[in-house]
Amino acid sequence: MAGLELLSDQGYRLDGRKATELRKVQARMGVFSQADGSAYIEQGNTKALAVVYGPHEVRGSRSRTLHDRAVINCQYSMATFSTAERKRRPHGDRKSAEMSLHLKQTFEAAVMTQLYPRSQIDIYVKILQSDGGNYSVCVNAATLAVIDAGIPMRDYVCACTVGFVDETPLADLCYAEEGGGGSSLALALLPRGGQIALLQMDAMTACKGVSKVLDEVVRQHLQDVSVLTRE
Amino acid sequence: MIKTERILHLKSFRGRKVRVVREHYLREEVPCYSAVCQAGCVNDGKVLSGELTHYVVPDASVVADYLEVLELRELQGIVFTQTAFQAVQHNKGRSRQYNRLRGLLKDPRHNCVLFANEFQEYSYCPREKGESQDKWQTKCVYSAAVWYHDHLAGLKPIVMITEDQAAVTQYSSLNAGVYVISIQDYLQNFWPDLQAAHELYSSISQALQEKGSEGTEREYAEHLPAEVLEAGIKSGRYVQGILNVNKHRAQCEAFIRIEGSTNKNTDLNSDVLVCGVKNRNRAVHGDGVVVELFPKSEWRGKTTALTEGQGEEKTGEEAQSQPMPTGRVVGILQRNWRDYVVTFPPREETQSQSRNSQRILVVPWDQCIPKIRISTQQADALQDHRVVVRIDSWESTSLYPNGHSVRVLGRAGELETEIQTILIENCIHVPPFSEAQLREMPVISPEKPWRVDPGQVVVRRDLRDTHLVFSIDPRGCEDVDDTLSVHTLPGGEVLELGVHIADVTHFVAEGSLTDLEARARATTYYLADRRYDMLPAVLSANLCSLLGGVDRYAMSVLWELDARTLAVKKVWYGRTLIRSSYQLHYELAQALLKGENAEVPELTQLGTEEKDAKLAQLTQALEMLTHVARHLRAKRDREGALELEGVEVRAQLDEEKNITALVPRQPLEIHETVAECMIYANHWVARKIQESFPQQALLRHHPPPRQEFFCQLVDSAKARGFFCSTRSNKALADSLEQAVDPQDPLVNKLLRVMATQAMSNALYFSTGACSQDQYYHYGLALDRYTHFTSPIRRYADMVVHRLLTAAINLENAAGHSKPSASNKELEEMAQHINNKNRAAQQAQRLSTELFQCLYFKDKDPQVDQCCVADAVIYAIRANGMLVFIPQYGLKGAVYLRNREGQVVTVGQDGSCEWQSGSVQRYPERISTTCSRGTSTFSLFDHITVRISVQASRYHSVSLHMEVISNKPHQNAEQQPPQLQGRSQLVQEVVRLAEEQAHDKAARGPKFSKEEREFCQSKSPNLYSLLEEVRELALIDCSKTNSM
Repeated sequence: MAGLELLSDQGYRLDGRKATELRKVQARMGVFSQADGSAYIEQGNTKALAVVYGPHEVRGSRSRTLHDRAVINCQYSMATFSTAERKRRPHGDRKSAEMSLHLKQTFEAAVMTQLYPRSQIDIYVKILQSDGGNYSVCVNAATLAVIDAGIPMRDYVCACTVGFVDETPLADLCYAEEGGGGSSLALALLPRGGQIALLQMDAMTACKGVSKVLDEVVRQHLQDVSVLTRE
Repeated sequence: MIKTERILHLKSFRGRKVRVVREHYLREEVPCYSAVCQAGCVNDGKVLSGELTHYVVPDASVVADYLEVLELRELQGIVFTQTAFQAVQHNKGRSRQYNRLRGLLKDPRHNCVLFANEFQEYSYCPREKGESQDKWQTKCVYSAAVWYHDHLAGLKPIVMITEDQAAVTQYSSLNAGVYVISIQDYLQNFWPDLQAAHELYSSISQALQEKGSEGTEREYAEHLPAEVLEAGIKSGRYVQGILNVNKHRAQCEAFIRIEGSTNKNTDLNSDVLVCGVKNRNRAVHGDGVVVELFPKSEWRGKTTALTEGQGEEKTGEEAQSQPMPTGRVVGILQRNWRDYVVTFPPREETQSQSRNSQRILVVPWDQCIPKIRISTQQADALQDHRVVVRIDSWESTSLYPNGHSVRVLGRAGELETEIQTILIENCIHVPPFSEAQLREMPVISPEKPWRVDPGQVVVRRDLRDTHLVFSIDPRGCEDVDDTLSVHTLPGGEVLELGVHIADVTHFVAEGSLTDLEARARATTYYLADRRYDMLPAVLSANLCSLLGGVDRYAMSVLWELDARTLAVKKVWYGRTLIRSSYQLHYELAQALLKGENAEVPELTQLGTEEKDAKLAQLTQALEMLTHVARHLRAKRDREGALELEGVEVRAQLDEEKNITALVPRQPLEIHETVAECMIYANHWVARKIQESFPQQALLRHHPPPRQEFFCQLVDSAKARGFFCSTRSNKALADSLEQAVDPQDPLVNKLLRVMATQAMSNALYFSTGACSQDQYYHYGLALDRYTHFTSPIRRYADMVVHRLLTAAINLENAAGHSKPSASNKELEEMAQHINNKNRAAQQAQRLSTELFQCLYFKDKDPQVDQCCVADAVIYAIRANGMLVFIPQYGLKGAVYLRNREGQVVTVGQDGSCEWQSGSVQRYPERISTTCSRGTSTFSLFDHITVRISVQASRYHSVSLHMEVISNKPHQNAEQQPPQLQGRSQLVQEVVRLAEEQAHDKAARGPKFSKEEREFCQSKSPNLYSLLEEVRELALIDCSKTNSM
């Protein structure tokens, strides 16, 4: 057997979900009182904590100050105990830096930064346990934290990942499915306007059905997530 | 859904143990797939029948070990649990078994389902700490069985079968209605009459028992673990490929055919030689293996000498070719074991063979396969019988692989046994059509004949009254799948040419049982004395056969051609309704064309005037057709189409259906005309479906041959002073055209045969799998080609028909316009059809050889004139040469040096004798030297050989040829054929009285030729000609093995 069979002939995935079923989502807002906003989210076995400070005046070098809107500062990190083998470097590696940048871009699109010129908003996200879909879980956690902090946003940002096995799209991949060799696509969306905040695809082969993935699954299920996270 | 977690302990990449936690979701509604379900499960797909007395749930270990027993179609109502399914799936090295299990579950003919018990909330049981995997699996299967019983409200008793005795005692009394018994008890209590299952069970369980009691002495090096192999292949240290054993030197020589893209070692473009059994390291012919190359200093060449007989292996100074890459097998990626036919040795050999009389070494029929050790108590009863066995394992401590017997075929040497052997060795399964399949067929009886459906008349274009449709086939043909029409449209500017093909797909719905069976068979199998149809006879000989004078559905291609230039103006594809006016045969059509006075059977009833008018109309149509075909042919010739000569022989029969002579077939122009129209239709359909479905159309391509394969052709041509250019198909066709020896027409024929042999086979493929420049058909010089014209006997044509229908619907934007198969599925199907076609050709060749042997078996080579024949030398080897016998269409090896070191010398009168001496080989001749002088044999010399039968207990019988004179054999041509036939007839009568077995054998050939010639519609397109040529081609065995 060459690798795992991600989708059985009867339509079950490795963990017993059907192709379009999401993992179990649990969320809590306002976990910490010291910070301006905070949230904790579990999507299956992926668990993340997000904390928001600000808006406050720009710390560090003054040159980063923008006169017409707020600066968003994001930091993504993973706990050393978040993976099966202990992680040596919790943050600051290349992958974390990339993830931080993606988060920053996502929230620059969502937060109404023009309301806070010359100020800064800090978003810190930490993955406590990693089991696939880290980016989308972080976005969802951060959204909740921003809501908790009372910072106005154009819309809630919701994110989800989708994989592709043969012809069937799989929603909300777990770690085993992400590593299964297929293509995977992460998408952050502003659901009300249907605008895409961030789209990232990792695939070995050119994925012919991007539009299919986008239309058929992601949009529909992001709606589900947005309903859940609003609760 | 309820979320739980499963904890697994896996090995990480570096070999450390890692604790992995996976989510596991449980749900209440998991479909049970039973027809008697009370809870309203959503059961789509295969459902367990409600009429059974019980359902059976096999344990994981039963599924793993006794899957073969469960595969028997008689065992019904099997519920495979997900636990057992995954146990097979995760078992390393069992991927073939896993695929078989999956196939079983998909096959609608087997009444079995897969129940996802681990995702069912109430049947799932978590694995407890410290619980062994086997125990846990048994527990899961049992709880699934209990759930099943409760779910069906106790309507069906559930039987769980396990091999674990502890489980039987533990669980059997827990629940009423759920029985836990061992597999042996199960078979005895529920299937006492199913002998095959009992035998299979005992042979497998014996093989399993023996497995434990292996010796510990190591015979072979261990295989490397899969990770090491993978890393080695990636880094280029190892190469992977398919093992091919040289069947003439099965003990010492094997080659690895490298798989193209996977190896980075691009300078390694030839095969890798593996010498000896130790280096082969338990790999069996056909396995996917990984080899390690030796340093260059240890490379060896392959042996070029012909070996006589089998078994004896000469070491020492054998003629060897250039050193080639040599290596040893370090691991096996994929076992490709299939069912093998073996022969039990006679008693005297079994007793001396081993101290343990239960274990017997049996000899496979295929020489490439090593002896197999099986455990049985029936060794005495099965002496000299041919038996089907499967290999179970091959441990490093065992010299031979272990296997178990599956089924007894019969005594070796009997015709029926030998035919079955040929079928099984080529993986051809042709059981009679089942009742369920025949039930799908429309019923026709004399009282209630089949009628055209009025609904179909509306959707189809009706050509019954507007077009003159006729068919041209061999005499006595039953399954007519192609008809033609041609006429000038009003105005005289435009010709309309039509090809109408039987609409098989109208009767065979996709996915129906008949369709699945046809797909599994992929083609009709023609053996020398019988044929196995792809479709039930009611379709192939009646409803789909475009017989004369009756209404039939057809799939048509109609071209409008410019009357003068013959350029295509318009093409129409679609479903039609036709009535064929004339069912002609080739000779009749040719006679009509020549203006000879021929009797058309359809017109005999008519008055003279009407008859003349009709005859004139038909003749005009035939002339027009010939005119168009000539034009098409000329056009393809300009592009470089090859004309390849077939040494097709035809049996001439006397009034009692005995073979009186084998005469070469006379090709008529009408053959070519029909073939040309079919090629044209195939080509245009290929264009249509490829344009409509650029990613998923089934086409057929013929890759250009590799230049090095032409060496023999070029060298041979040079020996006769011809220059052969093989740069392109055009150049090749031209140079073959010129290479004619006025004295000996056979030279050109042999050269064409060699050219055919150098070419690769044409193959089906899906357009998504190849780039567009690979679509080219080398032999026919067409950019796109497919098979469309024989849906009755080829499954590929049925696929193309469906694609064409989809393409037409797409154009009309009506109905479902999507092709049902994706590129991947289609490519898999193409591979399957290619394999089956290869097997069919192989089986046909083997059965022809079998009958040739049977033909000569009764004849005494020293006396009978039939056994002496004229032969032409077509290749030279180190100790002999390969010859072709035109009279019988035979080819074989002639040795000039025998085992004692004696060589053939030629006397004054041309007769040959054996004397001690030496053999010297040159590129185009071979000479023997001894005390009496030197004698030389050159390429294309005519010599006289004597044919005798070489009997073999374990393998197929073969023919042996011995040179008796270096002069052409005069006798054969002068002898009147009748005389030969009569002597044969007398002989047969004598034999008939003597022995029944001989009778069977001798009667064989009579049927064979007759049937092969007259009862099938091998549609005579050039393409099938080309393929027939290949089958009859002179195959140089040592070469094909190394290729």
